[in-house]
Amino acid sequence: MSTPRTSFGRMALNGAAGLSLGFILLPLIFVTWLAFFRQEIPSFPPEGYSLKWFSAVPGNKNFVEGFVLSLQVGVLATLIGLLLGVPASLALVRHRIALGPAVNTLLLLPLVMPGIVLGTSLYVFQIETEIATGLPLLGSLAGLVAAHTLVVVPWVVRLVTASLQGSDRSIEEAAQNLGAGPLTTFWRITLPSIRPGIVAAGLFGFVTSFGNLEMSLFLVGPGRITLPIAILQYLEWKIDPTVAAASVIQIVLIGAAMIITDRYVKLSRVV
Amino acid sequence: MSTAAPEAVAGARTGLAGALVVPATIFVAIGLLGPIAILFRYSLNQFIPGQFMVDGLTIENYVKFFTDPYYINVLVRTVRVAVICTLACLIMGFPLAYVIARTQSRFKNLLVMLIVLPLFVGNAVRAAGWMTVFGNRGAFNASLMGLGLIDQPIEIMFTETAVLIGIIAVNLPFMVLTLQSVIEGIPRNVEEAAFSLGAGPSAMFRRVLWPLALPGILAGTILTFILAMNAYATPVLLGGPKFQMMGPLVYGQFAQQNNWPFGGAISFILMTATILLTVAAHLIVQRRYR
Repeated sequence: MSTPRTSFGRMALNGAAGLSLGFILLPLIFVTWLAFFRQEIPSFPPEGYSLKWFSAVPGNKNFVEGFVLSLQVGVLATLIGLLLGVPASLALVRHRIALGPAVNTLLLLPLVMPGIVLGTSLYVFQIETEIATGLPLLGSLAGLVAAHTLVVVPWVVRLVTASLQGSDRSIEEAAQNLGAGPLTTFWRITLPSIRPGIVAAGLFGFVTSFGNLEMSLFLVGPGRITLPIAILQYLEWKIDPTVAAASVIQIVLIGAAMIITDRYVKLSRVV
Repeated sequence: MSTAAPEAVAGARTGLAGALVVPATIFVAIGLLGPIAILFRYSLNQFIPGQFMVDGLTIENYVKFFTDPYYINVLVRTVRVAVICTLACLIMGFPLAYVIARTQSRFKNLLVMLIVLPLFVGNAVRAAGWMTVFGNRGAFNASLMGLGLIDQPIEIMFTETAVLIGIIAVNLPFMVLTLQSVIEGIPRNVEEAAFSLGAGPSAMFRRVLWPLALPGILAGTILTFILAMNAYATPVLLGGPKFQMMGPLVYGQFAQQNNWPFGGAISFILMTATILLTVAAHLIVQRRYR
């Protein structure tokens, strides 16, 4: 089949694919390049290279506090999201429940709900809750974690249900025939077989929360902003190698998290 | 990236199943539907400057939006940007998705990671990358001037072009990943069958690949369209204060004007417009390719 025409088509196809991939990666390449500039103004070609901007990042209070807050919110929202989402996925796949498809759709809904709409509606909801209960919710850690849990749950449900559907139910039945109770079966058979799905759900949930911008914008309070918002506010003011260095640190951390996760579960199989 | 409902398996205890699924369901129902209901109620309230928000039952906020050419313009611009970006994502995303889906290379996983990484890094960081490229002394202008092709820098920052490029780059990974998972589900045999029956690459694409991939194309298109309609960071950073889209407009009403009823109404108009256009696209595609 390798006539000249098809091999030319193959090259054109690969070329188009390469261009698209380059287009996706281009902004990350340039932000990384900028982080190593010697001069402060982002003008090309650079006058020289320096590592000094990386030491400026820890001195920026907004970046450091934003990073810590994003980490706290991401970890808490992911844990709560897993606690809510994994049992729900089990019920949806392994049991016949009333309104199953409707419940499934509802649990996936926050994923397609626009961030701006989520943010505005949660903002007014938290205000109403504050008025009703007297508890300070808006701008608090609890308020942020609750909102982020809402966008973590769909990732968990989606990835864990897919994982459960792929795992062999007859092994669970065999365990139960051999005398294992439901809890033992879950702990010794079901959980290990869906571990890749849970790891992937944890990663995607955490990263979705960590990078969330649109929704969080409405829910953060003064002196309590997440890292993406700190970066956005800085960029609205100016672009320089300091914010680029902060971005590079974020790129490296997320890349490392992906590589570690990839050892447990191949990313190309879960996304 | 399928969102199909899983098939329930018979013969299980419903009591336990309920206990497993109810917490998540209640959490999402209260956390998602409750707030949207309250937002809708707010959008029917009145806003009187100085008095903040007054309880009422009026559609004046919606009337205000649809009778002011400024706001209509913002809506039209948002839809235009979203449509262009979605089409561009489809055209640019398909070849890349196809190559990744069909490759036998051991670097396949690396390729997927290279597409997922930008997705995870966030919109603000990627906008920063484009700001580095687009500025008057940025990489793009400096290269062209260095080559002697232009004397004066081309204004790209704070134009619609910059916003389009930024949003396409942000949404392209979503399209690629959605298409890739669907193309992987199409057996390679059907393509080879088409070729061996004499179809050229373009006929094979049009008559075999495209119809079979249509569910994924639709899912990817809807996802990127929703994201483009609701973009915030990209228009703010690359479009500047004068380039208004719906997302930043909503935020401005809440954060700067403190006009919650009107902000709520715009938020609702944005959501409704997104859903209506999505459903319309769905119906058109279904009618044409049934």
